[in-house]
Amino acid sequence: MGFFVLFGFVFKVRGPPIAGAFKERPTKPTAFRKFYERGDFPIALEHDTKGNKIAWKVEIEKLDYHYYLPLFFDGLCEMTFPYEFFARQGIHDMLEHGGNKILPVIPQLIIPIKNALSLRNRQVICITLKVLQHLVVSADMVGEALVPYYRQILPVLNIFKNMNGCTEMNNFIYYSLHVQFI
Amino acid sequence: MAKADIKPKSIHHAKKWSDDVENLYRFQQAGYRDEFEYKQVKKVDMVECWPETGFVKKLQRRDNTFYYYDKQRECEDKEVHKVKVYVY
Repeated sequence: MGFFVLFGFVFKVRGPPIAGAFKERPTKPTAFRKFYERGDFPIALEHDTKGNKIAWKVEIEKLDYHYYLPLFFDGLCEMTFPYEFFARQGIHDMLEHGGNKILPVIPQLIIPIKNALSLRNRQVICITLKVLQHLVVSADMVGEALVPYYRQILPVLNIFKNMNGCTEMNNFIYYSLHVQFI
Repeated sequence: MAKADIKPKSIHHAKKWSDDVENLYRFQQAGYRDEFEYKQVKKVDMVECWPETGFVKKLQRRDNTFYYYDKQRECEDKEVHKVKVYVY
């Protein structure tokens, strides 16, 4: 017994290696960036962005939401200008003016949302959460439609929920619980 | 003579935000003086507005691209003094 006590004093036992739960993942080229650089988006790219707006070449009401909305959501992984700006503003405009065109597209938005959260980048997570907040109020029944996909969205949020300054994250988690159980 | 055909007599800068200032801000962001010039240039009778707030919802710019605006106020207090109010 004494031998083991002496062994413990002489040789310190190290803890397990860091798992890297909080570590940021490297970004991969997105479909949004590819389409943007090809000029496939119906947005005016050379426009002066002083007013923080993008100019649409086509009326949003005439857009195919099944095609474009997931592409814009794919741009949530972007962190540099102009990609991040156009993705964020494009999503905002499409959600603000989508109406009943948004609900049928929800299943196609889950993978881009999950990919964005999986990067574990604080800026991307905060922007994605703000987008989720906008998404759930953009049309009727959207919040309920997201419930089956909570198991894909919430795990990464669970990792960060105890970090300081994560107000949006906590708000979204509490909203999710409210929708699911009440 | 319709207001759309008359040039403004004077111009001053807005001092305080109001619903009218908000709409002027939106028109001027899109490159127009105000609603009268927009209707004159685009040859439309109506401007698409949010029914809840009455703010301008969508405008077509001179290059035929579209600007979309939020239901809520977009003109921040620091931008109010840049809004030009035209008097006819």
